[in-house]
Amino acid sequence: MAFYKNNGDRVPDHILEMAGKARSGEMDRREFLALASVFGASVAMAYGLLGLPVPAKAQDTTPKPGGVLRVQMFVKAPKQPRLADWTEIANTMRQQLEALVYYTPEYTFEPFLLEGWEVNDNATEYIMKLRKNVTWTNGDPFVAEDLLYNLEAWCDATVEGNSMVARMGTLADKSTKKMREGGATKVDDHTVKVVLTEPDISFIPNLADYPALIVHKTFYENGADFVKTPIGTGPFELVSFDVGQRVVYKRRETGAWWGGDVMLDGVEFIDYGTDPNAAVSAFESGEVDANYETTPDYLQALDDLGLKKSEAVTSITIVARTNVNNKPYDDQKVRNALQLAVDNAVVLQLGQNGAGVPAENHHVAPIHPEYVELPKVERDVEKAKALLTEAGQLDFEHELISSDEDWHKNTGDAIAAQLRDAGIKVKRTVLPGSTFWNDWTKYPYSLTNWTMRPLGVQVLALAYRTGEAWNETGYSNPEFDKKLAEALSINDPEKRKVVMKDIEKILQDSGIIIQPFWRKVYNHHAEKVQGYFQHPMQQLNLGKVWISES
Amino acid sequence: MLQFILRRLGIMALTMLCLTVVVFFLISLEPNLKKLAISQTESRATQEQLESWLQRNGYRQNFFVRYGQWLGVVKKQPNIDASTGKAVSRFVFCDEPDVATYSGILQGDFGCSTKFRVPVAQKLLPALGATGILMFWVMVTMVPVALLIGILAGMREGSRTDRTLSAVSIMTTATPEYVSGVIFSVIFASWLGWLNGSAASATTQGVNFYNFTLPVMTMAVYGIGYIARMTRASMVEVMTQQYIRTARLKGLSFRSVVIKHALRNALIAPFTVIMLQFPWLLTGVVIVETMFRYQGFGYTLVEAASNNDIDLLLACSLVSVFVVLFTQLLSDIGYAYLNPRIRVQ
Repeated sequence: MAFYKNNGDRVPDHILEMAGKARSGEMDRREFLALASVFGASVAMAYGLLGLPVPAKAQDTTPKPGGVLRVQMFVKAPKQPRLADWTEIANTMRQQLEALVYYTPEYTFEPFLLEGWEVNDNATEYIMKLRKNVTWTNGDPFVAEDLLYNLEAWCDATVEGNSMVARMGTLADKSTKKMREGGATKVDDHTVKVVLTEPDISFIPNLADYPALIVHKTFYENGADFVKTPIGTGPFELVSFDVGQRVVYKRRETGAWWGGDVMLDGVEFIDYGTDPNAAVSAFESGEVDANYETTPDYLQALDDLGLKKSEAVTSITIVARTNVNNKPYDDQKVRNALQLAVDNAVVLQLGQNGAGVPAENHHVAPIHPEYVELPKVERDVEKAKALLTEAGQLDFEHELISSDEDWHKNTGDAIAAQLRDAGIKVKRTVLPGSTFWNDWTKYPYSLTNWTMRPLGVQVLALAYRTGEAWNETGYSNPEFDKKLAEALSINDPEKRKVVMKDIEKILQDSGIIIQPFWRKVYNHHAEKVQGYFQHPMQQLNLGKVWISES
Repeated sequence: MLQFILRRLGIMALTMLCLTVVVFFLISLEPNLKKLAISQTESRATQEQLESWLQRNGYRQNFFVRYGQWLGVVKKQPNIDASTGKAVSRFVFCDEPDVATYSGILQGDFGCSTKFRVPVAQKLLPALGATGILMFWVMVTMVPVALLIGILAGMREGSRTDRTLSAVSIMTTATPEYVSGVIFSVIFASWLGWLNGSAASATTQGVNFYNFTLPVMTMAVYGIGYIARMTRASMVEVMTQQYIRTARLKGLSFRSVVIKHALRNALIAPFTVIMLQFPWLLTGVVIVETMFRYQGFGYTLVEAASNNDIDLLLACSLVSVFVVLFTQLLSDIGYAYLNPRIRVQ
């Protein structure tokens, strides 16, 4: 069986075939880059196949050491990385704990703590090679046992809220709730082989997800507390961690970082609360040099302060989903009527200030490699009303629930306004973020945000498959499940797209979600900060950032 | 006297006990426990996972057992590791022991803050200190300004000065902090850019004029109007007294009548009001601290409540009861000393 090495110069034939299509514009370039890198192409090669030069990174001068970077970001309570439910939580640890794989801003996958990986033709076997020059801050070398230790912990379904289990696919054994016996084996000190029982093309992309930070092999025995025992492989060392206030890191002092010289003396994450105005004043008064995220409403304000803006197109989204176990949402006509009554482009304008691209109610983004464009469904109020009348639910008052987070609330308001416009009765309920999540999978009709995942199949597998823990719509369709399983195993993009087209269509027709837009994410930084940018998954890796004092 | 103080302290303990039982009951309601479990596991954890977390960490024990544990009359149990069967510390971040111990309020252990991941005392004491600093500056600006306004307004009732100052005081005291705070932020932070609209840096980098003026101003302005009105009323009353008229008829200048004769008598009423400001300040800080993100007692209370941080919330209630009852005790004793006609019974 042929194995394809990442960052190499050899890729399967179907990738070469795709390159031709990407060049001719038949296929999206981003989509091509992501897939090509999963199947082994280096960034240079992937761009080369497209006939393009590798985009130059904006670095006009040589980095200078010194300075502390202060970043405005929520400082939430630290958790075990596998339980992290906010990108911010992972970011506060990411300066010392690192991931195996890095999803680049160019939408490709690069090895990070891995030196590389090889994958067989149908994505059931992965050979993961570790970097040899990685050491832990306690002096231990980074070896195959560390990786196995982490894989086991990620597959442990007995841990409440371990979201890595779903990401491990068939490496996790559903019956024992542990890692499948013989699923991952040590080949040598720096090589681990993973065998899956079903093809899974999302295995490597999942390793780039935010909870997938590698911890030391004493982590869980020591109480699984990063703040108590901060042992990591990263460029910085934790100094202090005050929840709700700030996190302080200093440049790593014990052992060298595998990534080379670290320019910053230290990094601080400072919490300014949920009011975006506080962040503006923090920038104004020079208390911070950069922020984690700028909401669309504040782009102008921060631009006006002379700060540099950075943006990334993402597949972050929000869905107004119905739960089919509740009346009247068990009726497909009602669900479709709700979809038809809403113009997604308008919701994008009102809910997100136009910062994004409209979506098409099937939760696969144009930046996803497997995206297939479906025929547009226009807003059709008459048809919506007709469907509701047919279902006998024209007078039903819908209650649309959302959390109070700004863009959730605004999007919910915009959708409700569109529905009312169409003559449908809607009551809006806004719950504080701290209570909203108590029942997020149970609400009859509510808004849920979904974070960025590089492949379209990833969210579909988490959210819409029968019986999944995060299946908030209660949707269960054997045909959908079957097609999705098929898609998760198909390499050939053309064949996979045929399946994806059906999957998207099934989901769109089912009417379970109004998915108005895909977000763009932004952040700002002071001019003196170099190498700081918004990552599509909002991950902050600050090892290579530096400050040029003017 | 000693008996009086002891009795008052006894009442204080009883109030604390009653209040904490009520608070304990409320935070043990099912939705609140669930909220805690979610924040401690993962926001998208399943129902079974949340239940298992609550079970494992002892939140499913009998209400009175848990209250007793918090009080320190029942032993706190460590967790049992399911895979090894060994006892492990419940919350490692608070250095909780891995053996059953009496460790509650009676032993001086306020418990563990699940939101801030530190022992409660370690979070609450700096927060109280921070609020103390805020209250100090509020008092220092509020009291002199309010007395001055009140006296100026009250010494000539009905004059133009009186009307103007009264109008201003009524306006400030009729504007709640959450309104004036926003107005001040817009004017001084956003438009003029003179002041920092957030006091977030005050707790970490120290208090300065730039980051601390807005919260102090917001709180002080509200109180100023109130105290000034009281002072004015008292001043007006004193100015109509016989002895003031006598003093005027005696030929004393208006200035010396006000300063020597009226002022001291007029200050008795505002003094009571000022004493009453202490408990008020403690509740007033909730809004101002949250608004300006100043990490004092009010902010901690809000965070504890919204995350159902059981131990921290209980400790906050204890502090509140203590502050309110203790200032009352002080003023009762103070009255008895100041006014011989009042006797403590």
